[in-house]
Amino acid sequence: MNVKEKQDLQCYSTLGNYLWRDPPQESKWADCVHCGMCLESCPTYEQTGEEQHSPRGRVYLIKAVAEGKLDVDEHFASPVFSCLDCRACTTACPVDIDVGGLIEEARGQIRQAIPLKGWKGAVNKFFLHGVFPHHNRLRSLGGLLRFYQKSGMQKVVRKTKLINIMPQHLTEMESIMPEVKGSIRKKFTSEIKAKSETKHKVAMLTGCVMDVFFSDINESTINVLTRNGNDVSIPKNQTCCGALHVHAGDREMGRKLAKQNIEAFENEEKVIVNAAGCGCMMKEYSELFRDEPEWKERAEQFEEKVVDVSKYLHDTGYEKPKAKMNMRITYHDACHLAHGQGVRKEPREILLDIPGVEMVQMPNADRCCGSAGIYNITNPEMADAVLKSKMENVPDDVEMISMGNPGCMMQMALGVQKYGRNQKIVHTVQLLDWAYQKEEGDLNDVSY
Amino acid sequence: MMSVIRIDTTDKHIINLASIVSGARSILYKKVDLLAYDCDGFTIHKHLPKAVVFPKNTAEVSQIVKYCSENKLPFLARGAGTGLSGGAIPINGEVIISMVRMKKLISVDLENRQAVVEPGFVNLKLTNSISDKGYYYAPDPSSQYCCTIGGNVAENAGGAHCLKYGVTTNHILGLEVVLPNGEIIEIGKNGVLDEPGYDLLGLLTGSEGTLGIVTKITVRILKNPEGKQTVLAYFDRVEDGSQAVSDIISAGIVPAALEMMDKTAIEAVEAAAFPVGHPKDIEAVLLIEVDGIAAGIDEQINQIVKVCKKRNVREVRAAKDEEERGRWWANRKTGFGAMGAISPDYLVQDGVIPRSKLPEVLRKIAQISGESGLRIANIFHAGDGNLHPLVLFDARKPGEIEKALEAGSQCLKACADVGGTITGEHGVGIEKREEMRFVFKEEEILAQTNIREVFNPDNLLNAGKLFPTPGRCVEIKKEMKA
Ligand SMILES: Cc1cc2nc3c(=O)[nH]c(=O)nc-3n(C[C@H](O)[C@H](O)[C@H](O)COP(=O)(O)OP(=O)(O)OC[C@H]3O[C@@H](n4cnc5c(N)ncnc54)[C@H](O)[C@@H]3O)c2cc1C
Ligand code: SF4
Ligand code: SF4
Repeated sequence: MNVKEKQDLQCYSTLGNYLWRDPPQESKWADCVHCGMCLESCPTYEQTGEEQHSPRGRVYLIKAVAEGKLDVDEHFASPVFSCLDCRACTTACPVDIDVGGLIEEARGQIRQAIPLKGWKGAVNKFFLHGVFPHHNRLRSLGGLLRFYQKSGMQKVVRKTKLINIMPQHLTEMESIMPEVKGSIRKKFTSEIKAKSETKHKVAMLTGCVMDVFFSDINESTINVLTRNGNDVSIPKNQTCCGALHVHAGDREMGRKLAKQNIEAFENEEKVIVNAAGCGCMMKEYSELFRDEPEWKERAEQFEEKVVDVSKYLHDTGYEKPKAKMNMRITYHDACHLAHGQGVRKEPREILLDIPGVEMVQMPNADRCCGSAGIYNITNPEMADAVLKSKMENVPDDVEMISMGNPGCMMQMALGVQKYGRNQKIVHTVQLLDWAYQKEEGDLNDVSY
Repeated sequence: MMSVIRIDTTDKHIINLASIVSGARSILYKKVDLLAYDCDGFTIHKHLPKAVVFPKNTAEVSQIVKYCSENKLPFLARGAGTGLSGGAIPINGEVIISMVRMKKLISVDLENRQAVVEPGFVNLKLTNSISDKGYYYAPDPSSQYCCTIGGNVAENAGGAHCLKYGVTTNHILGLEVVLPNGEIIEIGKNGVLDEPGYDLLGLLTGSEGTLGIVTKITVRILKNPEGKQTVLAYFDRVEDGSQAVSDIISAGIVPAALEMMDKTAIEAVEAAAFPVGHPKDIEAVLLIEVDGIAAGIDEQINQIVKVCKKRNVREVRAAKDEEERGRWWANRKTGFGAMGAISPDYLVQDGVIPRSKLPEVLRKIAQISGESGLRIANIFHAGDGNLHPLVLFDARKPGEIEKALEAGSQCLKACADVGGTITGEHGVGIEKREEMRFVFKEEEILAQTNIREVFNPDNLLNAGKLFPTPGRCVEIKKEMKA
């Protein structure tokens, strides 16, 4: 740390044993009355029964550090990093305690107190700083993967049992890695016009992972938006939303990315997002700027513009497709859509508006699948236990599971494969897009 | 994180206990892990436990208990830790035996309308697991989303719908219990009610975890009523609201639930996560639910509406659909937690009063509030006279905890003074030990501690709860012996 950085640090206030900039806020836990109404909503409490791995326990420990009763050390890090940041507790809590927000702030402190060392640190840094924020590098990595998939290397790796050398959970992930597809940001360099009369002008977040691995969903998003009277622009300077960084405790990088996005979308009226995790993060940018009033204000204005694609379509109106799709599906609530943004009914209504779609209710549909950003990579055992209970709730007789978040899509795909199920995993806008395409005769048989 | 804990301590008790409960993470003994166990839903007293152990079956519970008792280690059972009187707080540095991993639904017998559960099974899950077959478990404490049936048995929990169907004790058919010496006993075999001999089930239920640790519970389940309807009624005067409550009961209607909230309580629930738009300027809201044979329901609703009108109700209406009914109940059932929205801390009291005395007691509570300078909200199971004054305070302000405790105690005194008592459902725990003297004479308390002694002779199990300072009782006992 150089002298300037040290000086910068000193001008921020600290709190109890939180010694770094941007500590967990007292106002966030002040309302917690220790009632325990949140316990059963928490997947990690369900798995362990341990109260320090429950929302109430986590809030209590975070508060204890501020009161000087605990130190910021590895013991404290364990319950803080075992949290999925799934926000189910906030939904259950009678006073809306923002446990996720507290957790992110506490992680920020932990990462400054005990920076990751060794290979974990290196891998973290490589991905979080070196890859995700850089669209081109993520693409080249994606390209490498595509080469790997297309060149037959994948077959070789699988055949030669090279795969057995990788840690178990990475092996499992490898087998469900979606195919890398052509980037939307490469394909559409200027505004895409509404198919008929222009009613609204919107901008779209392409997302980092989304645009490499799920660009077909981005394409579907553009299709359904333009079909419903929206001119869609894709601002060039946009970058990764920063959710992965903030979840990992790297709030500094989170702030950097947030600023870039706030600037990139400055002149736009609406920012349409099709990844729940990104939308939720972007709707909370102002939390990152509590000590930078000017940016805080800009962030608050930005948050107002951010909206999930399903909610946007629902609120501004969309054409009901006419072609019949004939399928039985179920819907999984992404945590950062249902608990994080309160979007529950909108995607369901869209799905029900597709003729021939029969919806089967999934019990505990808003229970986390264990994906939680990169949680499934950092806490594989817990993620897997959570995934297992999720899969037990997936109805037997459905052909597809629809949802609104790429992280969940990968995790659920893993679940389908691992537990011998046969459902297809789809994004809500994809289904709508397919229905429109079928109506126009572009799609004879759904090619999913 | 689910891996087996390496035991890195030299404490021989921890090492020995760890060997009893083998398996993944089944003992906690480090400060950061224990801190989350230093209190329950009652946060005024705090103490770290020595350790927390997670048995998986009755045999393990028995072995842990035997070990503790042989080595004179104090111990207690803990469920979800939602208790409001401090029953699960390890004030003597107890070994906490957490029951939450014993959470299986063992069997459901629809024909005989009973189910067998492990003690860590969560209350609401029972109803959720049998509702598709048309059955439910009646006791519904507001904490039912999270509290355990073991904890319900210990506290003899009640709930909004216990007016018509009775509290926990009316639904317990059998218990398996580990006694404080480790012995395993079964009471109420085969779910036959009214076994000959003493009613041990009745004694154990509500004993606040001081007589034994419950490891298996046979409960009664009920068939869903054919229909139900909920009515909301707003009153400008508390007197009218409470008079309406009495009138409804005297009219011969037995509602499934009859709840009241006062103005401050309404302010809190409207400021919290589940607002339903109650007017801010009314003095009382009544929530009245009737259930039973579908054909009779409309008639009962009409009668209730008529009674309310006679008592100057400002507005009265029935829920228009299940969704609205659900929202009204969520608003009511999260009432305690909702206090967080208008106050940093709260202390909930739990008096029982004759219904007719409500206006008088509420006036007295308003006076206590004025004198202490602390706001007091009231949530009331009006049908059975169970009043919950919620004393609002800020623990960070010096002296406020003491003031709140004193105000709470005075509220209970007010209840006892009109012929009521000091707990309806939350138990005595640590919180109301001294207030036991409002309702029991010294000899009556002694008679009860004598019973405890039969089960729990060394007083290692959950000592210091339920009865006032043992010192004085012991002295009296000595005098009596002398
Ligand atoms: C928001 C809120 C609302 C509430 N509403 C109600 C209500 O409407 N009605 C009501 O009655 N209560 C209510 N309560 C109080 C509380 O939920 C009940 O007392 C409940 O029964 C406690 O269950 P638990 O699993 O949390 O037990 P804990 O709090 O863990 O333990 C309570 C007591 O039971 C003992 N115990 C626990 N398990 C066992 C066992 N297996 N064997 C022997 N002893 C055991 C403990 O030692 C302790 O003394 C409420 C609490 C909260 C926080
Ligand atoms: S977070 Fe909310 S639900 Fe959980 S203990 Fe605190 S107030 Fe209660
Ligand atoms: S965010 Fe999810 S995992 Fe974390 S405490 Fe809340 S419910 Fe538990």
